[in-house]
Amino acid sequence: MTAPRAVQLTVNGRPVEVVLEPRELLVDTLRDRLGLTGAHVGCGHGSCGACAVLVDGVGARACLVLTVQLEGAQVTTVEGVLPAGSGPDGGDDLHPVQVALSRCHGLQCGFCTPGVVLTAAELLAEQPCPDERTVRERLAGQLCRCTGYAGMVEAVLAVAAETAGSDRERAGDG
Amino acid sequence: MAEPALHRKEDRRLLTGRGRYLADLVRPGTAHVALLRSPLAHARIRAIDVAAAAAHPGVLAVVTQADLEGHVQRLHHHLPMLPGLRQLHWPLLADGKVRFAGEPVVAVVATSRAVAEDAADLVRLDLEPLPPLTSIDEALADGAPLVYDDWTDNVLLRLEVAHGDAASAIDGGTHPVLRRRIVHHRVTGAPLEGHGALADHDPGTGRLTLHASSQSPHFLRTVVAEALGMPESRLRVVAPDIGGAFGNKGHYLREEILIAALARRLDRPVVWSQDRIEGMTAGIHSRQQVHDIEIAHRPDGRIVAMRAHLRADLGSAELYALGMAPAFATAGTLPSVYDIQDYAFVVEGVVTNKAPSGGYRGYGQPQAVLSMERIVDLLADQLGLDPMFVRRANLIPDGVRPYVTAGGSRLDVGPLSEQLDELLAAGGYDELRKRQAAERAAGRLVGIGVGQMVETTAANPHALAGQFGGYEMATVTVHPDGHVSAMVGTTSHGQGHETVYAKLVADTLTVSPDVVDVREGDTDAVAYGAGTWGSRSAVMGGGALLLAAERVRAKMIAFAADMLHQPAEAVTLSDGALRAGDVVLPLSMVANLATLHAFAAPSVEPGLSASAVFEPGNTQAFPDEQGKLNMAATHSSGAGLALVEVDAATGRVRVREATILHDCGRIIDRIIVEGQIQGGFAQGLGAVLLEAVEYGPDGAPLVRTLQDYPMPTTREVPVVRVLHQETPSELPGGFRGMGESAAILAPAMIANAVHDALRPLGVPIAQSDLRPPAVRDLLRAGGVGLDLDALAQGALAELPDGRT
Repeated sequence: MTAPRAVQLTVNGRPVEVVLEPRELLVDTLRDRLGLTGAHVGCGHGSCGACAVLVDGVGARACLVLTVQLEGAQVTTVEGVLPAGSGPDGGDDLHPVQVALSRCHGLQCGFCTPGVVLTAAELLAEQPCPDERTVRERLAGQLCRCTGYAGMVEAVLAVAAETAGSDRERAGDG
Repeated sequence: MAEPALHRKEDRRLLTGRGRYLADLVRPGTAHVALLRSPLAHARIRAIDVAAAAAHPGVLAVVTQADLEGHVQRLHHHLPMLPGLRQLHWPLLADGKVRFAGEPVVAVVATSRAVAEDAADLVRLDLEPLPPLTSIDEALADGAPLVYDDWTDNVLLRLEVAHGDAASAIDGGTHPVLRRRIVHHRVTGAPLEGHGALADHDPGTGRLTLHASSQSPHFLRTVVAEALGMPESRLRVVAPDIGGAFGNKGHYLREEILIAALARRLDRPVVWSQDRIEGMTAGIHSRQQVHDIEIAHRPDGRIVAMRAHLRADLGSAELYALGMAPAFATAGTLPSVYDIQDYAFVVEGVVTNKAPSGGYRGYGQPQAVLSMERIVDLLADQLGLDPMFVRRANLIPDGVRPYVTAGGSRLDVGPLSEQLDELLAAGGYDELRKRQAAERAAGRLVGIGVGQMVETTAANPHALAGQFGGYEMATVTVHPDGHVSAMVGTTSHGQGHETVYAKLVADTLTVSPDVVDVREGDTDAVAYGAGTWGSRSAVMGGGALLLAAERVRAKMIAFAADMLHQPAEAVTLSDGALRAGDVVLPLSMVANLATLHAFAAPSVEPGLSASAVFEPGNTQAFPDEQGKLNMAATHSSGAGLALVEVDAATGRVRVREATILHDCGRIIDRIIVEGQIQGGFAQGLGAVLLEAVEYGPDGAPLVRTLQDYPMPTTREVPVVRVLHQETPSELPGGFRGMGESAAILAPAMIANAVHDALRPLGVPIAQSDLRPPAVRDLLRAGGVGLDLDALAQGALAELPDGRT
């Protein structure tokens, strides 16, 4: 064991300072120190994606990252996929991907779901209207043992279709 | 603002990271357990030196079986009624011998999991290696080493059953006989959340609360209470949100009991979360069986009799509920959808030095259906007949129900030949055959496979799995504010029970599902319950809730009638209000008055709460004098059609299309039912095309992580076209179980399709392992004169959707 070190990072928009052993993984810091248990440990070696978070806006496996690597980083977990109070009326709203996953039954036990939400949100932020092949490629790293992925893929495509629809509407208005 | 319309009640918390799975319940001050597990498959324990581990900073206790003796009873299968079953009693931690790599030997309790693992590394385990048994053949060989020194062989149980007279048809020389060996390989359910347990003992009251990622909390309570020698009344078992279970969490693990024992010993909360390596090497495996099947048949393809010798590679037998029980289900359901009344079987459970095998979605039925569907296709090939013709010639006839199988199962399903007709029409079978002919002509290995099944649902397995039966309990309470609690003894691990149960209760009480809160998975919620397994929850949990809700409804009507001085017949309940003539009493008003005792109705006891026990009364757990039993309260049925393509160069099988027609009686929530079919199909696909749990010749587990165990991803799983029939069962609500159906069907559909793809090469499929290396072997076997390079280029040239 090595002496504890202090690390400053931003989690879901909130500055955080933690003092921890260098061997501590980000997923443990999030879960055990910050009470953000949405990141789940499914495999512990980066295969399943249940612990997926965004680090500086880019998908990362929280079970493969040491927290000491993240000095100054911005970490987003499922609890912060929408910034607090950013929903309509400042309420606790859901990201469109979250709503679509429910409507398309893209989740069952829910254990993989936080990672799916973040990965899909990241994809849609990059490419608002991905095709099915792209969606399947991007979600291929998110293992789900329950759904067979049908509803999950449908959900992301539904959000994309809605975006495409509202883009067309705007273009028509202009 | 308006609540966004989410489909399921459970979705908001699960989507926002507010689910509460076992590992999420850990509070500061909880002690963590790491288990030192055997590195060897088979060895005698010479010595265990825990001194250095115990002295490690942060370690609270280091425990071996010697420390548990006298405090915790050994486990056993609770099946004294099964003749011939070796009566095993096994410890929580290995003593004397270790029998598989991964068997827990030492428990280290420390302030954190990391510290506990550090200390576990300091334990010195002195083992004397013994020859490992890694296969049925090794375990049954003459002079094989014995896993248990006091046994005469390595067979846990050999059970021989004959229904009718298969022997004279098969041995009498009057009928042609087809003989086939069909090999089923080892896989695992691998729920994404590993198993786990968290126990908290209150020394003041003597009460112990055990949270466990368990499918059956009440059963687990009974097991833990017995092992710990404590009253069930002081033990509460709670299953929190569960991250997948699939039968793997339907067993009562040594670790769960150990955690409860450690919490009682240390008087502080203790947690263990199974990590992935533990899950893969010391969790629950499944399905490894060898079937030797003989069928006597007529030249026209009609099967006259069947005899099967089934051997199950159990790995460790030290698993409760009995890990061999799925093999009984395989043997019992082997005739499947076919009308074979002369059926005899021998089933043997063989102990090897591997992790225990137990339940996994389908519970022995995927093997039965795959073997039977293969046999019928192979018979068609042998006779040069159309597989559909041979299938139809043998299907259980439409008409009289229940159809009683050779083994006594009372099949209450709809007409199976009509189901097949509808599948083939909807799946475009004739069109697919035309496409296949064109693609074959272009050199592609394309195959079409059909599978059919009846699923045993809502079973009473008392006599076969270990003392626990299958009734269900529920309590429905209307609170003074008109909100409703629905409590039941099942558990949910993805099935959406909060949503479907709320709908059932809400419909009965004519209120919105939004005011119905469902609670399950807690032994303090209902007196007893069986949990969720065997596609039972809609039938049994739903049945119990319907009965309880109906009783509450009757109470409400009695109250309202009394209040209004009307006969009960004059009062109706609709749209959340009790009505008599022009008088309308909101349900919440009646609930308030009835519960707060503002109004005493002489004929009705106060309060609007009722409990109910649902026992369908049509199962028969013990064999009758003819050896027949009926496990299931009802059955579902299904038929599936798959189109696959085999890549001749790599042996990779791609499922291009799949259609499943399913009948689970009355559907409560179509979206959830279809989700179970999509997901079950994916698991079935994985089990044949991607996954295998393998061991080295030394008994070392070769599958330790998900890198070694490729589960299906978005790349491999097609969207299944799902169609429904709704033939109501005779049980309350008309439901039939369905959660396992697609997992049972998929391996057979796919195996039949791969067989069809390779038919031009003349290599029959007689195995469940259709991963690329296995298929390449088959291609080689049939590949005389085959230009693999040309075929490969043809196959890769144009994939319809561009995926590779």
